[in-house]
Amino acid sequence: MNLSAASWVLAGAAATGVAAFGSPLAADINFRICGLVIVAVSWNLMAGAGLISLGHSAFWGLGAYVAILSANRLGIPLAWSLIPAMLCGAAIAAALALITGRLRGIYFAISTLAMSEGLRVVAVMLPAVTGGSTGLYLDTRLAAGNRLINLGAAGGAVAAALIAWALTRSRYHFALRAMRDNETAAQMLGIEPIRFRVGIMALCGAMASYAGGLGVWHNGYLDPGVAFDLQTTIDAQIAPILGGIYSLPGPAIGAVATVGLGELTRLLLGKYTGASLLVFGILLVVVILALPKGIYSIIRRDGPRRRVRAADPVGDGVRP
Amino acid sequence: MDLIVQLLIDSVLLGGLYALMSIGLSLGFGVTRIINFAHGEFVMFGAYGAFWLLALYGVDPLLSLPLLVVAGYLAGWVLFKATIEKVLNAPHLNQILLTFGIALALEHVAVVLWTGDVRSASPAYAVATFVFGDVFVVQGRLIAFAVAVLLVAGLLCWLTWAENGRAVRAIAQNRDAATLMGIDPARMYALSFAINSGLGVASGAIVSFLFNITPFMGFPVLLKAIAVVILGGLGSIPGTVAGGFILAFAETAIAYYVPDGAGWTEGIAFALIVAILIVRPRGIAGQSLA
Repeated sequence: MNLSAASWVLAGAAATGVAAFGSPLAADINFRICGLVIVAVSWNLMAGAGLISLGHSAFWGLGAYVAILSANRLGIPLAWSLIPAMLCGAAIAAALALITGRLRGIYFAISTLAMSEGLRVVAVMLPAVTGGSTGLYLDTRLAAGNRLINLGAAGGAVAAALIAWALTRSRYHFALRAMRDNETAAQMLGIEPIRFRVGIMALCGAMASYAGGLGVWHNGYLDPGVAFDLQTTIDAQIAPILGGIYSLPGPAIGAVATVGLGELTRLLLGKYTGASLLVFGILLVVVILALPKGIYSIIRRDGPRRRVRAADPVGDGVRP
Repeated sequence: MDLIVQLLIDSVLLGGLYALMSIGLSLGFGVTRIINFAHGEFVMFGAYGAFWLLALYGVDPLLSLPLLVVAGYLAGWVLFKATIEKVLNAPHLNQILLTFGIALALEHVAVVLWTGDVRSASPAYAVATFVFGDVFVVQGRLIAFAVAVLLVAGLLCWLTWAENGRAVRAIAQNRDAATLMGIDPARMYALSFAINSGLGVASGAIVSFLFNITPFMGFPVLLKAIAVVILGGLGSIPGTVAGGFILAFAETAIAYYVPDGAGWTEGIAFALIVAILIVRPRGIAGQSLA
């Protein structure tokens, strides 16, 4: 097999291996990377369709709440509680797609922001359901082993990468690509934007909710601030941008870089509260200005500011 | 119903403040077509500026206001030239993420410098109250309203009668035609962004004695400003002013009449955003979305 496929298999094997056999520290970092890969891939897929999400934490948080509530209220164990989480994530994403209709660009972005903040307010104001600001603790009788949770994350990351790859091999990705470039023109070619929007958003919502459900099982505690944390949204954006937006390996590379950078700043600058997010903010600005196509563009040796041509594939396709 | 007078007074006073908070954003968007996600951070820095000047040197926020506005104007100009100018023609995604990144960085500069502790500027009029029969009017709010009205009126006059103001409006209407008329778009963009930040800092200075000051106050301010701007219609300053009053009225009414309403007021802005985007995306008086 070629180099690209080999490196993918290696990465997947490494993630699963560390999850299954690694030390607690390694497994923990692996969990965070895999969780971020899932969210980053889902953000990247949406961005690839021209749908900029500034509220990805909405899906994450919703998945987390559904998972913890189905576990606490209905006694459902880990694996099964993730299914309603994914379904709810898909449902709300589809609903958002239908509500926002034809909105594009900045207007769509603002509506995603409104949704995530709105959900946070709802979570705070309904303590009977969500425990309000005091939060919910996962029922300790149901606690699943760390190995299982980490494997779930690694499996999810591999699945996310496979889904993204499968999309690039299908006709779906041409439609999404066309929508990203110019939705009106795409419509004239017979692509019905609503159908594709609902589809891709439901998929991405489900993925992010899966990550959220796993997150709450991992942490054991949830409150509206944690669930709908701005940090989740920021990470979801930084990882694909840093790694290489619209590309297949971009989110994965970016996830590793983001978690790595987070750890590095925590070690070096940890005593200055807020320093790590300051670094992330500056990094985002610098990357947008100097390296808009991310780290992957350097690896491809096309240069950071390669002009995008019409024939560029969305994902890696079959290129080595 | 006996609360109605109090309700109206409170919403009018709050509306003026919201209008001031949002017109900068509206102007910036109308001209550059970029929503400045760092807007809230300028408000935050204005509040901190007023606070520190009061705490360290005893300068009243109303006196430090002009100084802060000038500082905000210059800082905005520099920021624009250094970063935002480069993405004027870039895809939406880059513009959004750039200003998002700037907002994130600015917010945490404040966290690193001043920690997350909550502060509040407290000149004498911050909590003093006028009482007219059954109605309470907090002096601080009244003063804030007066300043807001002055600044908003000032901006509207500038846009209507000043040379540069009319040039800015021309660029907002039709960039190419304005360029043909001899207006330099680069200067106008920088100018409108600088005014955006100047007005943001001004609203921050006023807010310093009304609400608590933390480095994280920028984000909720930004969301409310976005709600007001969308409500009023992107690109229309009078629409934004109207939007500010509408949002203020909605929030105050909910806070008064709905049980636990004060907690839900945070969500009003978002519900309004989504509602407006569904029903009439161009807002009350905005340009079409094409």
